[in-house]
Amino acid sequence: MLLGRVVGRLWASRQAGGLNGRKLLLVRPERAGGGETARLVVAVDGLGAGPGDRVIVAHGSRVRDLTVGAEVADKDVIIGIVDGHQVTAP
Amino acid sequence: MILGRVVGEIWATRRDARLGGAKLLVIRPHGIYEPAFAGRHLVATDDVHAGVGDEVIVCLGAPARASAGGNDTPVDAAVLGVVDRLDFEAARLAAPGAGPGIRRPFTVDLSGTGESAGQAGAAGLGGEARR
Repeated sequence: MLLGRVVGRLWASRQAGGLNGRKLLLVRPERAGGGETARLVVAVDGLGAGPGDRVIVAHGSRVRDLTVGAEVADKDVIIGIVDGHQVTAP
Repeated sequence: MILGRVVGEIWATRRDARLGGAKLLVIRPHGIYEPAFAGRHLVATDDVHAGVGDEVIVCLGAPARASAGGNDTPVDAAVLGVVDRLDFEAARLAAPGAGPGIRRPFTVDLSGTGESAGQAGAAGLGGEARR
């Protein structure tokens, strides 16, 4: 999994069937020592996360099957919304 | 499996129900892995009561799910062990063809004596690994 911040929401009027109606969020993975990476992950959300939230994103088809369903065409899924975290990385 | 150090902890009450009460740790994988992990960290569940500062073994993928409380847990990384001692020959690991993912000399000192605090800092550990 990785820790990231939701930086936006994604809408698309023409979607493949597997994405239809799914809430898609843009997540920027964070650096362990603070700050954010330049990467963007498009993750499916079933928990009600929104822009500004820190989230935990898990990756993989099995994770996807267990959380949002096997029919969804995305392998990055938000599995937790962070209340607090403490990183003491040098 | 990979080697890393626990650098933090995460609290999340709004989580997928299948996660249960699993403890979530922030792990910094050692800098020997290539490609590097996004943000140079990963989040893993913990069964072995690891704490911040511990050197740990982290399992990625399907076996992590089995360890984290059954195959129905939506995780992709789990801490499987806390390292007490690690012996290996840095020179052999650094040799060409030494193994997947190893790209430079690497030493870890868990004894606290600082005797083998070598090139680990250059490998992205932010200092030698030490308990």
